Amino acid sequence: MATLTVTQNFGKGARDLEVYRSLGGYGSISSRLFDLSQFELIDLVSRSGLRGRGGAGFPTGMKWSFVPRNSGKPVYLVVNADEGEPGTFKDHVLMQEDPHRLIEGMIVCGWALGVRTAYIYVRGEFLPAIETLNAALKQAYAAGLLGKNIGGSGYSLDIYVHRGAGAYICGEETALINSLEGFKGQPRLKPPFPAVSGAFASPTCVNNVETLMALPWILEHGPEAYQALGTPKSGGTKVFSVSGDVKRPGVYEVPMGTPLMELLESPELCQGIVGELKGVIPGGSSSPVLTAEEARKANLDYEALAALKTMLGSGAVVAFNTERSAVGMLTSLTRFYAHESCGQCTPCREGTGYADRIMKTIASGKGREGDLDHMLDLAANFSYTTICPLAIADAWPIENFIGKFRPEFEAEVAKNPDRGSPRVTKDFRPGAFW
Amino acid sequence: MSHHPVHVEQPSDAEILPRLETPGVLSRVEELIRRYPVKRAALLQVLWLAQETLGWLPNVAIRWSAEKCEVSPVHAYGVSLFYTMYKKVPTGRFFLQICQNVSCHIQGAEAVIAHAEKVLGVDSHGGNTEDGLFTLLRVECLGACGNGPVLQVNDSFATDVVDGELAMPIGVGLDPERFDRIVEWCRRRAAELPEEPVRDALGDILVGTDGHPGATGASAEVQGSYAPPPPALAVTASNVEEGRTKVTWKAAPETTVLHLETRQGGGEFAEVASLSGKDKEWIGELPAGAEIRIVAETAGVRAKPSNIAKGIA
Repeated sequence: MATLTVTQNFGKGARDLEVYRSLGGYGSISSRLFDLSQFELIDLVSRSGLRGRGGAGFPTGMKWSFVPRNSGKPVYLVVNADEGEPGTFKDHVLMQEDPHRLIEGMIVCGWALGVRTAYIYVRGEFLPAIETLNAALKQAYAAGLLGKNIGGSGYSLDIYVHRGAGAYICGEETALINSLEGFKGQPRLKPPFPAVSGAFASPTCVNNVETLMALPWILEHGPEAYQALGTPKSGGTKVFSVSGDVKRPGVYEVPMGTPLMELLESPELCQGIVGELKGVIPGGSSSPVLTAEEARKANLDYEALAALKTMLGSGAVVAFNTERSAVGMLTSLTRFYAHESCGQCTPCREGTGYADRIMKTIASGKGREGDLDHMLDLAANFSYTTICPLAIADAWPIENFIGKFRPEFEAEVAKNPDRGSPRVTKDFRPGAFW
Repeated sequence: MSHHPVHVEQPSDAEILPRLETPGVLSRVEELIRRYPVKRAALLQVLWLAQETLGWLPNVAIRWSAEKCEVSPVHAYGVSLFYTMYKKVPTGRFFLQICQNVSCHIQGAEAVIAHAEKVLGVDSHGGNTEDGLFTLLRVECLGACGNGPVLQVNDSFATDVVDGELAMPIGVGLDPERFDRIVEWCRRRAAELPEEPVRDALGDILVGTDGHPGATGASAEVQGSYAPPPPALAVTASNVEEGRTKVTWKAAPETTVLHLETRQGGGEFAEVASLSGKDKEWIGELPAGAEIRIVAETAGVRAKPSNIAKGIA
């Protein structure tokens, strides 16, 4: 059994403070945390090789080092629990199973950055997780682990849960900050980066749930031990949400660098594929899809997946078998991104909707010749022209599904007897195919 | 919800406001606002509170929320439209949302949605059953992909009924039979309970805290010295030439002043030099065997002293 750093308390009832404590919880608070200074702690996290687990994989220690403490403004910590990337459900389970580990991680981060007020931004659909967190916060306050003068250290921290209300884009950190401030969740231009001017125009650190939950283990066992669990450039372990055509879908923690097929086929993990593997989406719906052949070569760490021109992302593995239609999957994805575009930037607002309408005609047997190239052209044109990466998150599946399963798309287009006729421009009026 | 509230009959102010202007609701609003440094930031939570209280968000409730958070009504209205979970139209008692996104799609979401449409006799874009029990809506990712296709009944995830309760067993997705069982559960519950109990999503507000330090009107200054300033570290002393000692240390970048202090043979430490926070070393005359330490000061607050280094003759 591999070492677990985040999910070790699953199924042990650690929601309750007493149980969590009996499993060694809040050990870092009572032992060494408050003896460490800010830069010792940041240095320690840097040495652990911990990288942001929300999707971008930015080194956590470096992110913290960008937050100034002498700006004359309060520093905010905002936990990104707006887990919305299709395929991802790890944070949901993590918060449900072990809410105190998240609180402990927040105290560690809060101490490192001098945070006085922290928010947990939870997506609105996760009401059960919100209830669990609120109950855990209540226990932590009652035990003197939160609030004023934590454990006699002179350090004070307040944590509030902020319930989102249903918008995928709020997982993007600047959109999340706008949403926290009571605005529509539309991303902001960077710079200024949140580290300098984020929530309430103050220095803000936005971290994913899983990132913070790795901190107690790192403090207890040391950064070198954590780093050694993974590969030289991707330290530690990662929690994967596996869904789709596997025998036992669920949340699994494995060391970085584990072969993808081991995760899918090991009897202790997903126990194998249902049917014959056709492809795998390795890191959430926006990450480029891998064919079965590529999946067999893939290792689960940032560098190995980047070498295959895809990404680890949030660790959402969606495996699908040969019975699944690539056309249907892409139609589902383009519809999603068109629905979730925040409407701020024209290329994304119009482009994702346009791509969605073309995909719907192809899927309903009304595709025309040239539609596929048109889609690729469209994707290339709305990538990298917007404030946030939502448009790119739509472009990657389009480019890769069509690129890797093109015969299937061509067969779908070929079903239209009228496929040779030119597209009539008026067909593309908004709403023409809804 | 994705459908636009074009032809919703709006209740009158007199009908809605008395339900919102109760002492219980108003004290919760006040507590929600105190979680944030500005009132506007509480808007999403106040809208949630109004929706919890009324079951949906008529325009008057949005205006009321705007007033409480001191934003313009149109700002609050825009926010309520941007987020899909604010119900701009009333729904049935059991609001059934079925995920149609990629993980659920490949596990057969379309077949389940088609089945649901047939069983309930409504369309899946927000259709209501005539008895007022069910609203059916196809939605994007609900964040429970390991249980695809997944369903939410109001705020609970459900893919089956186990021991008479809604449940989401590990790895079990929705299928037509399980959907039928859930519908049957809902009908039975409707016969037993007159109405759905409201679940509290906003928590015990401000347990053990006074809220955000700036929330009651003051500014960021109230945050004050939220944490002790970082101390200087790794102080070392070495001889550079006869009688002159070099002291080096590490200090956090935000340090404003460094106090170099010494003592001899016990006793009190006395300040020898006051240095800028940017300084990296100090060279000066110190008696042999003196104990040296540095106290960092950040924005007027002294940190705990550094380690003690021994001066060498």
